[in-house]
Amino acid sequence: MAEATAPILGKPEGRALSIPGLRWLISFSRRKPLGGIALVIVVLLVVTAIFAPFIARYDPDFIFKRENPVYEANPSFAQLAANPDIGSPVIVDSFETPNPTHWFGTDKVGHDIYARVVHGTRLSLIVGLGASAIAVSIGLLIGVVSGFYRGWFDIIMQRLIDALQAFPGLVLLLLLVQVAEPSVRNTVIAMGVIGVPTVTRIIRSSTLVVQSTDYVEAARSIGATNNRILWRHIIPNIFSVVLIAFSIGIGAYIIFEATISFLGVGPRGVVSWGKMVQEGRGSLDLHPWLTVFAGMAIAIVVIAFNFLGDAVRDVLDPRLRGH
Amino acid sequence: MGTYILRRLILNIIVLWLVATMVFLSIRVLPGNYASQQFAGANLGGVTPEAIAQAEKALGLDKPVGEQYVNFMGDLLTLDLGESFRTRKSTWSELATALPYSLELGLFIVLVGFSVAIPVGVVSAVKQDLAPDYILRAIAITALAAPVFWTASIAVLFVLKWDLIQINVTGQPHYWTDPWSAFQWYLIPGVVGGFASTATVMRLLRSELLEVLRQDYVRTARAKGLTERAVIMRHAMRNAFLPVLTVMGLTLATLISSQIVLEQMFNIPGVGRMLFRSISLRDYPLFQGLVIVTTFVIVTTNLAVDVLYGFLDPRVRLS
Repeated sequence: MAEATAPILGKPEGRALSIPGLRWLISFSRRKPLGGIALVIVVLLVVTAIFAPFIARYDPDFIFKRENPVYEANPSFAQLAANPDIGSPVIVDSFETPNPTHWFGTDKVGHDIYARVVHGTRLSLIVGLGASAIAVSIGLLIGVVSGFYRGWFDIIMQRLIDALQAFPGLVLLLLLVQVAEPSVRNTVIAMGVIGVPTVTRIIRSSTLVVQSTDYVEAARSIGATNNRILWRHIIPNIFSVVLIAFSIGIGAYIIFEATISFLGVGPRGVVSWGKMVQEGRGSLDLHPWLTVFAGMAIAIVVIAFNFLGDAVRDVLDPRLRGH
Repeated sequence: MGTYILRRLILNIIVLWLVATMVFLSIRVLPGNYASQQFAGANLGGVTPEAIAQAEKALGLDKPVGEQYVNFMGDLLTLDLGESFRTRKSTWSELATALPYSLELGLFIVLVGFSVAIPVGVVSAVKQDLAPDYILRAIAITALAAPVFWTASIAVLFVLKWDLIQINVTGQPHYWTDPWSAFQWYLIPGVVGGFASTATVMRLLRSELLEVLRQDYVRTARAKGLTERAVIMRHAMRNAFLPVLTVMGLTLATLISSQIVLEQMFNIPGVGRMLFRSISLRDYPLFQGLVIVTTFVIVTTNLAVDVLYGFLDPRVRLS
């Protein structure tokens, strides 16, 4: 058998690359160069997020300060008038322009901005991947059940989803994030919930399409149970749609997190790019580096995920292009 | 057609009822209410639990939730949206002051968005997979990726640094009270928001045009010897434009409430900012009213667009 098939397929003997994942990756990058670049960026981002403490050079919450050379314990009014800082033993290194010590400068409190931008990767990735995973898991469950079993569950679910989709998304998010304390976990859950209606719609319609195919009809006619059809035919065949729904959404969740952080209702106690943009906005003309780097980081991450999502969709299901 | 519209109308009413219920419950799930929110942070000696209870009673917040819901639904049937806890004015009059601002900004955004998106989409489709297509699509994706609050900040920075334009606005002008001031006021948020909204429309128009350009009647038109311009403008665009029209309608409908960030940044007292504030203040009636009205606009526009679609494209059967 082996001797017979090899020449027909024309495969060169002893191919160097035999790792299946790698081969797929190379062919993916050839077909979608932009997707390939985006994939590299995403991998780099994941590496940055995991090894943030080593890449960041400093602790993002460390306050840079130095001793005051002209410190006076009990300054007179005249001295204070001449130098307002004279009474404090330390001076915080705030608003330093980008320099070799602080690549992206420092902020008002004396934090190193490079360290904060690097650490901000963590929140963005956790939120993007986490929210998308939640949205896709719940959406898959609801979408398959309502598409496959139809009936009253489908009817009720459809109306609920209509209602959720008619509700302005950002408003719903602003509501949900305030229900519980604004931790990272709660923010991720809230954003995942926002994504459920869209994912459910996509999954439900693909379930309907797969269900009306001949092979499902054939399986049913030879007496396959509902369970068997669901697990052996429906779910494997909508898997590419699930993957598309997952990857397409990530960029939007990252923007959503940045937006609510910018509006001041984002997760507390973590470094967020959106919050950094907000903090720097007041003195943008004097200290643009506070805002520019964090904003660029958001844009790069979202562009990478958008290109990757587009490429995944084009490769897996070209019919969905442009919708 | 008649039965279709009737069925859709009934569905819309159900959706609106669901939204109203969701709005009612969700705002009450948030911790605290208007009374406690007012005193939060103000640790003055005079604020006793009795004072808060009294305030709650005055606002009707002491009644059981079930009773509040029944009252709310009853009022809704008579189109009474209650009055704002904060200003004591009816939600309708609050909406009447905020809506013009949101519409003025929204129109600006739509105008900028579409006047960029349409030519860009056409060029991108006609020059498919050539350099202009790649460049324009890259720009579109960038516009989609950069958060609007960041691009707006950068735009303000540029304007300030290089004195590009003089922005001289006093008060909160409308186009009809002080057109020049209003134009300056909406200029940056309008351009930034418009730019951010181009990507969706541009990509949709591109993919629709590409589809249409492959059709037989386009080949026929070319075979007749029509100029490329005539083929695209007269034959292809007309058919590719329908879905774009749909998106246009929906964008306009959602713009009313979706400009929370831009309205907040540029101090525009529109619906988005009012919504945001009503959530943080727990101003239940105002929030409920605003969401119900904007949802009504969205579902109605949806229906109108679908019906219009049926008229414009006879191949689409409404059933």
